[in-house]
Amino acid sequence: MQAFFSKILTYIFVFIIYIFIYVIIRMIFSDIQMMYRKKTGGLAEAYLKLINLRRDLDFPVDESYEIEDNEVIGRGKNCSIVVPDRFLSLKHSRIFKNSGKFYLEDLGSTNGTYLNGTALGDTAVELLDGDKIRIGRVTFLFVLPGGASKGKSK
Amino acid sequence: MKKFFQNIRPLLLLLLLNAIGMLLMYIKGVDTLEDMAILCSAMCLLSIAMYAIITLFSLGDSYLFIIISMLSTVGIIMQSRINQDDGMRQMKLYLVGVAFFFIALFVYKCFHKHFEKFTFFYWGLSMALFAFTAVFGTVRNGAKNWIDLPGLPSIQPSEFIRILFVLSLAAIFTRARSRKKGKYIPYLERKKIKSTRLMFAAGIAFSNALCLFLQREWGIALLFFAIYIAFLYIYGENKLFFAANMVLVIFAAFIGVKFMSHIQVRISAWLDPFNDVDGKGYQIVRSLFAIGEGGFAGTGIGAGSPYLIPVVNSDFIFSAICEEMGVLGGVAILMLYFLLVYRGFKISLSSTNEFNKAVAMGLSVMLGIQTFIIVGGVTKLIPLTGITLPFISFGGSSMITTFIVMGMLQAISSIKGEVTDEIE
Repeated sequence: MQAFFSKILTYIFVFIIYIFIYVIIRMIFSDIQMMYRKKTGGLAEAYLKLINLRRDLDFPVDESYEIEDNEVIGRGKNCSIVVPDRFLSLKHSRIFKNSGKFYLEDLGSTNGTYLNGTALGDTAVELLDGDKIRIGRVTFLFVLPGGASKGKSK
Repeated sequence: MKKFFQNIRPLLLLLLLNAIGMLLMYIKGVDTLEDMAILCSAMCLLSIAMYAIITLFSLGDSYLFIIISMLSTVGIIMQSRINQDDGMRQMKLYLVGVAFFFIALFVYKCFHKHFEKFTFFYWGLSMALFAFTAVFGTVRNGAKNWIDLPGLPSIQPSEFIRILFVLSLAAIFTRARSRKKGKYIPYLERKKIKSTRLMFAAGIAFSNALCLFLQREWGIALLFFAIYIAFLYIYGENKLFFAANMVLVIFAAFIGVKFMSHIQVRISAWLDPFNDVDGKGYQIVRSLFAIGEGGFAGTGIGAGSPYLIPVVNSDFIFSAICEEMGVLGGVAILMLYFLLVYRGFKISLSSTNEFNKAVAMGLSVMLGIQTFIIVGGVTKLIPLTGITLPFISFGGSSMITTFIVMGMLQAISSIKGEVTDEIE
């Protein structure tokens, strides 16, 4: 009986060591991913550039974020672009790509999403190169090199 | 505070593991369970406090300490299982070791700019320690490598010399570089400067190794050579010198095998341990039987018979782990070491100071090679040489040395943080 218990406990013991290794590797992996995200910029088709001076903000935010197919901006940890500003909702707004064009939509946020100074309604709006996106206290410049820009469309 | 709670999961797993360890000790029936539980809780509290300090005050890499705690916990449980008094002593050593970790962290963090100046002081100190051991040392297990001072715990100076060795090599190899930084030096001239430096490095390495050979510490001598070769490979730049060193090392090994009966015994025990099961091959055969007995999943902690392996609490602890936790547990331990060495190299790569880079690299290589030498030795991959398994083997000097090494790595990772902040 004693041998049986110790055997079971040993299995659990070893299993926990493996979970520990898994957790550590995942943490290291997400660290590396974050570093990679910070370093690159320019590889992706489009990106967001921070307009605010970083020293004016009392929370950490990157200088630029790459935009791929679908990015959710918000305060929550599950968002692909996390901005820990307390004026943001957990899931604030979303930028997605549809048939080659980028769109911005508000995800029912409390304080709203502003595109070039006007608040977004329920529908998604197409993003053009040089658009200014304001969420909470942060303002981003949407950069789409080689894409349709405000200057061209006017 | 948020940072601390964000990454708390590995800490919780560590506490859970400690609890299961105590449960295992309860099932096995230990006389001094209360004392053990008190020490174990003290350990857990200390781990939490250290982790909190490291994350809250941004003292660099946050994975290093938690992996160390994990390895120490496994070590303590195995030690308690083999001999409860040793287990208790190992717990106390962990507490002392953490204190040394902290001291090393702060001393290195505050004075790291001065450490690269004392190249020959390190060498002199290690030579003095060797001489001191040769005169006042006591003989244990056929090697005169212990110092018993009245009123102090007995220490093994060769363990501490490892740190001095890495520091002296790092100073020699990097000062030659950083002093000439920003200036163009003609190739011929540069080679001349380098070769005198390389000669000094070779002198330091071979004099240390010779002393270790005289002390019959084959394992640590091998470790020193490996560190030296790693430094040469990375900083040497001179292929001819590298080749000459390799030839010299191989020649020394050949001489050793040819004329030293101690090494001949090890080699023959490695090649065919079953030829002389009761004599030369006894240790390694016992170790192989234990590993085979454990199989894939192990016999269960407390259900095996690790007493049958000689010196099981220090050199052969890995065989005991393999017996009771199986190959699965052994691989888990190796993966923890792998992560630790990986973090070490990562710290070295991201450090901005040349000297700190070299020190971190040397210490990580030391840790990795040490693990390889002893695990390879007990599993009959390479000839067996007596060296401790970091954090798990029983032994005060080794435990404290490895904690100091980790403290230095932690300090180097935190120094990096300071510099990048200034740049931003």
